Amino acid sequence: MAKVKNWHLGRDMEYVYEENRPKRQWSIVFDLNKCIGCQTCSMACKTTWTSGKGQESMFWNNVETKPWGSYPLGWDVKVLEKLGHQEWKKHEPYRGKTIFEAAEPTETTVHFFPTDEDWMYPNNGEDDCTGNVSHGTHLNLPHDQWFFYLPRTCAHCTYPACLAACPRKAIYKRPEDGIVLIDQSRCKGYGECVRSCPYKKSMYNPYTRTSEKCIGCYPAVEQGYQPMCVQNCIGKIRVMGFINPPWKARKDNPVDYLVHQMGLALPYYPQLGLEPNIYYIPPIHANREYLTQMFGPKVDDAIKQYKKIKDDPRTQGLLVLLGSTDRIMHSFDVKHGVAYGYDEKGDEIVSVPVIEHSYERPRYDSKYEAVRNNTP
Amino acid sequence: MCGSCTNPFVQIYPRTPLDRIFDTKGDIEVIAGVSNKLADLLGESRMKEMWKDASGEGVHVYLQNIIDHSANLKGYHSKELEKKAQEGIPALVNSRTYPRYSSLEQARSEEKWHTKSGRLEFYRPEVEFIDSGENMLVYREPVDSTPYEPNVIVAKNHEAIRPKKPSDYGLRESDLSVENRQVRNVIKTGPALLNTQHPLRLKLHTHVYHTPKYRHGAHSTTVDTDYTSVWFGPFGDVYRHDKRMPSVVEGYMDINPLDAKALGVEDGDYVYVDADPEDRPYRGFKPTDDFYEVARLMLRARYYPGTPRGIARTWHNMYGSTIGSVQGQKIREDGLARSPETNYQSMYRYGSHQSATRAWLRPTLMTETLVHKGMFGQGIGKGFEADIHCPVGAPREAFVRITKAEQGGFENQKLWRPAALGFRPTYENPGMKTYLKGRFIHG
Ligand code: SF4
Ligand code: SF4
Ligand code: SF4
Repeated sequence: MAKVKNWHLGRDMEYVYEENRPKRQWSIVFDLNKCIGCQTCSMACKTTWTSGKGQESMFWNNVETKPWGSYPLGWDVKVLEKLGHQEWKKHEPYRGKTIFEAAEPTETTVHFFPTDEDWMYPNNGEDDCTGNVSHGTHLNLPHDQWFFYLPRTCAHCTYPACLAACPRKAIYKRPEDGIVLIDQSRCKGYGECVRSCPYKKSMYNPYTRTSEKCIGCYPAVEQGYQPMCVQNCIGKIRVMGFINPPWKARKDNPVDYLVHQMGLALPYYPQLGLEPNIYYIPPIHANREYLTQMFGPKVDDAIKQYKKIKDDPRTQGLLVLLGSTDRIMHSFDVKHGVAYGYDEKGDEIVSVPVIEHSYERPRYDSKYEAVRNNTP
Repeated sequence: MCGSCTNPFVQIYPRTPLDRIFDTKGDIEVIAGVSNKLADLLGESRMKEMWKDASGEGVHVYLQNIIDHSANLKGYHSKELEKKAQEGIPALVNSRTYPRYSSLEQARSEEKWHTKSGRLEFYRPEVEFIDSGENMLVYREPVDSTPYEPNVIVAKNHEAIRPKKPSDYGLRESDLSVENRQVRNVIKTGPALLNTQHPLRLKLHTHVYHTPKYRHGAHSTTVDTDYTSVWFGPFGDVYRHDKRMPSVVEGYMDINPLDAKALGVEDGDYVYVDADPEDRPYRGFKPTDDFYEVARLMLRARYYPGTPRGIARTWHNMYGSTIGSVQGQKIREDGLARSPETNYQSMYRYGSHQSATRAWLRPTLMTETLVHKGMFGQGIGKGFEADIHCPVGAPREAFVRITKAEQGGFENQKLWRPAALGFRPTYENPGMKTYLKGRFIHG
């Protein structure tokens, strides 16, 4: 076991291998306040990568309704239950144990293996709210009864449990972008990664008899394009970019800005200890204890920040850049009411007005001899 | 070409370089094909002439025609729009404003409203409206989907509300039969209404059943491929572990957990849903009819805490049963509800959401006298106009009885698996209870 730095926890922790951060780290930020649960992302991934034999029930990207939804069934309840009650005080490092630290001496992690039946019903729990809606119910913030959609891909973790658990060292993390891949020629399908990944984002293919997982759409990423599940997001709730650790954060990097600069986006289940690289702007209407369990004690501050966005044109600008370009934005800027995204060389790839303007056309267009009308 | 007055963009789908996978035809090719054949049969060459450009580059002739005759598209060139679309650039619909505010011209008094007087009208002088008591704005109970007396005009007595009573049509006031209750004009105050009952409550009907369109689909798009349909609700399973499943997904009814428990229905159980037996699932049915099982709705019950008590819901967009799909289920080895003859695939084992619903023919939706905006353009229309003045009623609602048909679990399991394992509302296992309260982390 090695001591590694996990900034999500604010402390060092134990991991099987030495700390070895990639040159840059693939990352997605999701604004959960805007996800409509349409599953367009799930279909984008499915039709691109997993339409083959043995992949029928596989959704590398899935969206589940929280708290009742889960794919595979009960994955997060089971992991949290195995890990047990843990302590994390506000503004302090995580005191509890990670899945590596709580493992039995002969094991790498605290884990469970989902059964074949656990992968059926991918949309189990869809739209179920927490409790009974009775007559006279009205809205408060946070809502009395609530649910939200949680879109999930592999988190291409800094300390992947899948990689740590693989006895054949078939899983590797690419130094150039931090994407975690399973070498299909080395994998023998022992399923240790399926068992150990607490997010259940490594999946077993009974036809090829190997394990498979989200590949971060690396062929697109290598060419400067965002993944399919990001490009196709109807709600424009996602942005893929490269995240730096806090000590190297850059204010003009879209992901760094949302995570480090503003503290708006948080990792999910950071207490598990993997330093996962998908980040969520938490839903402001959901129960705070539940959100703390999922996103850690920083969730209160993130929601406070979120409520300030209405007076913050720079953050507004970045949020309208989400879903406005297929390309990977390495930096952004907001000037005179317009938000700009730039590629790696600093060339502009997209510009969007922060506030959409209304236009009025003349009633009669004499050039085309056309009457323009709002009630056609 | 795709555009609508509610969408700011007009887009031409760029031509694909790929050959068609199946022998499918575009709408215009179908029309041209029929027209060509008719031309031959009738010896009328103009019918051929009309569609002579309908394939290949020639379609632009027709597209350009549409553009030239559309107020808000005039000025565009269809070939340019296609070229732009190839690059992923849509064009704007040039309505008066962007975004479009409906009725802007009328609200600003630049143009008249599409009424007889040209102003907004809140009184209807047409005799049909007076006879129905709808000459003034009133609220009516639904014709079927209410636990109270159906179709009652809920109002205090008012001298201007003088509908024809049931006796004026030779009906008894107490006649609440299925055809007569849709035209019955009876006025009651709110408190008086609350003391009444839907006649079906005597037959153990308990729930308003509504069947709105699914939130993520237009028409059947959500069930057109297996991969989209497994996401339609909580029962999708691509491997069909439970071989009773008609497809990789199946129809379900959302019901409040407390209501379901009172009816002895568990989460995931199969239930029958019966509406008014006078005419549903069809008029004059006998339980011994062969067709009865095809028409009678059976589907999964799903505990749904978000629906109030007394209300149940099934989304509208799944394919219903046919004689062939029910037969397929019985004779196919895989048990799929797929017609052996046509391969039509149903998402229900028996019946469909439409087994319980019907159209209601309200007189004030079928007048010959009401004026309204024409379907296209700024002209005034009168009487029937599809989607504008015609029966819409509440074809998606009913008042139903729900009875357990089969248990949700399979292979000797009583309960549906997610409920049995404690991951469903009212069945929570201890871990789930802690999880819901967010207690796995404490400060
Ligand atoms: S989310 Fe799971 S599969 Fe993905 S890198 Fe982390 S541990 Fe591995
Ligand atoms: S990044 Fe690519 S492979 Fe991963 S979930 Fe998204 S679409 Fe699928
Ligand atoms: S496509 Fe976007 S909005 Fe739709 S479910 Fe996926 S993340 Fe949510």
